[in-house]
Amino acid sequence: MLRNVFLKTLRDAKKSILYYTIGSAALGLYVTLFYPTIRDATGFADFLEQLPEAMQAIIGDAETYTTAEGFLNAEVFTFMGPMVFGIFAIIAGMAAIAGEEESHTLDQLLANPISRTSVLLQKAGALMIGLLMLSIGLLIGLISGSKIAGFDLAITGTILGIISLYMLGVTFGLIALAVGASTGRKGLAGGIAAAVGVVGFLLDTFLSVVDALDPARFISVFYYFNNNDVIINGINAVHFLTLVGIAALAVAIAVWRFERRDLAN
Amino acid sequence: MTAAISTASLTKFYGEHRGILDVDLEINQGEVFGLLGPNGAGKTTCIRVFLDFIRPTSGTATVLGLDSRSDSVEIRKKVGYLPGDFVTYEKLTAHELLEYFANLRGGNLNKARLLAERFDLDLSRKIGELSRGNRQKVGLVQAFMSDPELLILDEPTTGLDPLLQQEFHKLVLEEVKDGKTLFISSHVLSEVEIICDRVGIIREGSMITVEEISALRERALTRVKIEFADSVVPADFEAVEGVADVSVTDHTLTCHVIGSVNSLIKAAAKHTVNRIESAQPGLEEVFLAYYSDDQGKGDSDAA
Repeated sequence: MLRNVFLKTLRDAKKSILYYTIGSAALGLYVTLFYPTIRDATGFADFLEQLPEAMQAIIGDAETYTTAEGFLNAEVFTFMGPMVFGIFAIIAGMAAIAGEEESHTLDQLLANPISRTSVLLQKAGALMIGLLMLSIGLLIGLISGSKIAGFDLAITGTILGIISLYMLGVTFGLIALAVGASTGRKGLAGGIAAAVGVVGFLLDTFLSVVDALDPARFISVFYYFNNNDVIINGINAVHFLTLVGIAALAVAIAVWRFERRDLAN
Repeated sequence: MTAAISTASLTKFYGEHRGILDVDLEINQGEVFGLLGPNGAGKTTCIRVFLDFIRPTSGTATVLGLDSRSDSVEIRKKVGYLPGDFVTYEKLTAHELLEYFANLRGGNLNKARLLAERFDLDLSRKIGELSRGNRQKVGLVQAFMSDPELLILDEPTTGLDPLLQQEFHKLVLEEVKDGKTLFISSHVLSEVEIICDRVGIIREGSMITVEEISALRERALTRVKIEFADSVVPADFEAVEGVADVSVTDHTLTCHVIGSVNSLIKAAAKHTVNRIESAQPGLEEVFLAYYSDDQGKGDSDAA
């Protein structure tokens, strides 16, 4: 695990990856085990129906909430999933370059014959592998929970939903990494990436209930993540590629800035 | 033969703040070069430019014939680096750290093990649990273990006890015998005096002088105290070549002499001399001699 920067980064993060993967699996289990209660509760859909649209946007859509996929869409792919994946990714992105710089280990690492770009890309790669572990954990949790609770889950839709969630996490993580690599400031990296997430989430929820503002939803990353209700309707290629594009742009900016600036002592 | 390090008008500003200004240096392969100056003079700035941690505002630096900007990875293959305060991954053991760096360099730990034994370093301890001196030893080992052509050492013996400093000096001499080049920054003047062939003195970002150690000694400031049989006046000595800071109390003259004491002796011989005392010049005095040139008078008593 000390062969290169990529493996060393995974080694450093192994506990964090383990805990977040268990957390993701637990989330999947919890939600699927809880689903039959909602499905069987008579009148729950009617209750949702009576709520204002704004409340439905937060709790879940009345039309689909009592189906398995609709329930998971509301409980995993709206708030909890993005939060778990986002926090993990942002912490990893902050630590990647800015974290090393602030703890004064970056100089000594870069005294070895390895380019800044290589360090950055290997760290980005480790972040993406970490998120992949979370995704697998979530998938295992959802599938086993549905088996235990005895209902059928649309596997393809679930996997596509997780892929979209994975890409959202990658986007948050690489934004944090890019800000950290560009400025050397860990706090700023976390702050900006978290702001993109939190503001994005609030905007997406808010704009979706104000009809006049609906066209403006494209400014939030959450729109690209799950406006299509991926677990039900599948991935919208344009949306997914937009997330990929934002993540790629973040890496490009990170490399460009990191290669050109002075490192802090 | 290409120079080990060569700079041309190397300048670095941190925003408004001066790092180094128009530094021209030429360091030959196989020599031990000392960069001497007080804290904040620009020593670390030079070193961080050589390793491409920071980029020059203007001017260029080449290391082993390679450009510090475009060929940095190639340079770092051939250079071992030790900072004054070796900070690294605290959760790794010393062995794990050396293994990691050896992997990044494509080397092995053979020499590292020998060095660790020599410096009496326990490789199984975590870096974070080591004393400052032991951490510095890990730094020394990682700098030397890949047998680099050039060693860049920033205040290398900070935190090492005197015995280990001696061991370090022995190591430096062996490396030089092997044809290595060493670039050592220091504010510990006695250290540079022992191990370096040539010394550059840097002050407020500018290179004041680069000279052989022996030539520096010639410029040394000697403290001289002469006791005369009868009373003398300061005017008898103030105009004598090389003499400064003259003070006379009763029959006794104390002064500093830069370079040769010949003229002072001739002047003193006009009187009856009872006793002469003179302090052996150390590099501290040399250093102050260079400094007092632009700082005006009276600063040379600081040591």
